[in-house]
Amino acid sequence: MIAETFNNFLGGTAALFGDPMGVLIFFGGVVGGMLFGAIPGVSMLTLAAILLPFTAHLSAEHGIMLFSVIYCTGVYGGAITAILFNIPGAPENAPTAFDGYPMTLKGEAGKAVGAAVMCSAIGGTVSCIVMMLATAAIADWAISAFGPPEIFALVFFGLAVAASVGAKSFWKGWLSIMAGLMIAVIGLDPVGGIERYNFDMPYLAAGIHFIPTILGFFAVSEIFVQAEKKATGSFKAPKLSVDFPTFKELWMHKIAVIRSIFIGFFCGILPGIGATLAAFMGYNEAARWSKHRAEFGTGRIEGVISSETANNAATGAAMIPLLALGLPGGALTAMMVGVFQMHDMEPGPLVFINSPDLVWVVFAAMFFANLSILLVGFLEAKTIVNLLRIPFQYLAPMILCLATVGAYAVRGLTIDVIVMFVAGVAGFFLRRSGYSVAGIVLGLILGKIGEQTFAQAMQMLHFEFSGFLGRPIAFGLLIAGFITIFASVYGAFFKKKPQLTES
Amino acid sequence: MGKLSKGQLVEAAFWLVLVAIFFAYSFEFNNEIEIYKYGATLWPRTILVLIALAAIGQLLDQRKNGNVASSNTMAAAHEDSAQDTELNSLGWYFNTFILLSLPFIYMTLPDLLVKQMAIPEEGVAKLKIICAAVLLIAYLAIGWRNHVGAILALPIFFAALMQDMGFYALAPVFIIGIMILMGERRVSRMALIMPLLYGILLAFFVSLLYVGLPTGNISPFYEFGSWMVKTFQ
Repeated sequence: MIAETFNNFLGGTAALFGDPMGVLIFFGGVVGGMLFGAIPGVSMLTLAAILLPFTAHLSAEHGIMLFSVIYCTGVYGGAITAILFNIPGAPENAPTAFDGYPMTLKGEAGKAVGAAVMCSAIGGTVSCIVMMLATAAIADWAISAFGPPEIFALVFFGLAVAASVGAKSFWKGWLSIMAGLMIAVIGLDPVGGIERYNFDMPYLAAGIHFIPTILGFFAVSEIFVQAEKKATGSFKAPKLSVDFPTFKELWMHKIAVIRSIFIGFFCGILPGIGATLAAFMGYNEAARWSKHRAEFGTGRIEGVISSETANNAATGAAMIPLLALGLPGGALTAMMVGVFQMHDMEPGPLVFINSPDLVWVVFAAMFFANLSILLVGFLEAKTIVNLLRIPFQYLAPMILCLATVGAYAVRGLTIDVIVMFVAGVAGFFLRRSGYSVAGIVLGLILGKIGEQTFAQAMQMLHFEFSGFLGRPIAFGLLIAGFITIFASVYGAFFKKKPQLTES
Repeated sequence: MGKLSKGQLVEAAFWLVLVAIFFAYSFEFNNEIEIYKYGATLWPRTILVLIALAAIGQLLDQRKNGNVASSNTMAAAHEDSAQDTELNSLGWYFNTFILLSLPFIYMTLPDLLVKQMAIPEEGVAKLKIICAAVLLIAYLAIGWRNHVGAILALPIFFAALMQDMGFYALAPVFIIGIMILMGERRVSRMALIMPLLYGILLAFFVSLLYVGLPTGNISPFYEFGSWMVKTFQ
């Protein structure tokens, strides 16, 4: 099987690099994905949305390949803004900001970006290799073993674990996630299409879009926090550095890398879960097993490593349900379904039979896109780190204007811009009170998936909660989630706490 | 056993009041769904109950453990926590609340006046401009001594005016406003940076990517916005 895979891969590589137009599109996708991922206020999704109509003029092979390359490099590109400005380029980069941005404030931006470059490349490349070797077998297992009850249980477990990240306390973490889940409830109910919490406002009937909310909670609230520091005289300009981490420093965290590859790949393969939960779980597990757990969130390189390895490891895996079953795992893979449809094709098992060339060109392109993160990523990072030289009073209006354009461009509604700035103000006050904006965003994103899969699971199980007992994976994940919550509650009430000293 | 502070009590009350409001509103959509016996309310109500439990749990934890309350965790949010400054005083919160409400007054007041006073179509634009000017003066008067509140309110003001006055006319004023609030006082620098940022934005998004930004819908802002779009596209 390995020899056959290797031959197919060589065939795909030859087809990719033997075609000048293919090479041009490949490098355009690599640079475009990285740039759009790294520019504050826009993301790889913005680029993909702009390019989508133009793919009708490309061949199906080139169109799908372009999107898959943008996916790989865009996920990495988002880490740069997360590290430098606390603005995750995409939700999957949010955990990268937890430690990446404090590293920037400490003058270790170069180390954080370097770790992101290395680990994104490692996670993505390994994921691609496994994708090529095991697409069929893994798809068969995951799709048959993971129905709605298991996906709901996984969402529950992910949220339970995420409650312990980013906030000042377990309670605030849990309240942050619940607030995010409540925001996700606004709009139509996923089963009956009943309007909920629209308060007679037509805009709210469609729900609150996650892109303005994310921009508000991360980018805008960060500007407000820094503005408060300026007003109170506690503002410290981030220090500039381009000293990348040494091989020894990265080698010390090899276990975190391997663990994150497994987590990322496993989460990526599940439709609708993808890289976001992968990054959060990669980060959480790194924190859980680390000897320096209390230092997570203050600028540990391990936090950046685990999050970036996991989210890039999910990119290869996310192609499995897309190509094997036609199930998109996220916004970008959903756009890829659009590219297939523009060429009168349907992604699914038949693609492997009818268009094996397309599949292997895409696999080869993803493999080389991940490798190119190493080269182009380092060059790009060296340039973009210099953005930190810009004084904050000039950077702030630039970021706010970019965020305005980003929020407006989603649907062409000024109300989205208002929602973004209101979310920014809410994020500012919540952060002052020790709440986690990342928790709110995770709750918002996973809320809809959680409710939908819960409803499907209950219908499947004939509304009997005991039905979960007969599904070992779902049952195990639910138990693990409950244990995580009860351990935190027990710790809050019954564990002895060190008393704070005056110093 | 620690004593609860006023802030901790207000925080718990905030969550519980929010839960009560949302729970009461859930009866508005408590409709049956034929294929799903839990209806549209089970999920939000479960979340609300969990919010109430977490808020009470937090309060009990704070009562038991005082300043060292609660268990885990990683310290990401610690640095953001409010410092003991005048920015925590009741007066500051009240002042900021007034500033934040100004954009929402602009979003509702002109429409209300138009309905009440039966103002003709051609007078609506003038009314909106007068409302914006009055509220802007109020913003400057209140925000003069509250820089942080002014920074929080300015972007919402910018967004609220954008529908009527467009991005193109408002962005230069917004850029300068943020620079001043962030501490820039040198006119020469502002005169250099503002056109540079504005130009980069228009060149990249309008000329290169053809992003359609709001042009506004009242004269003379609409004409200016349309002229800018024609020029840059």
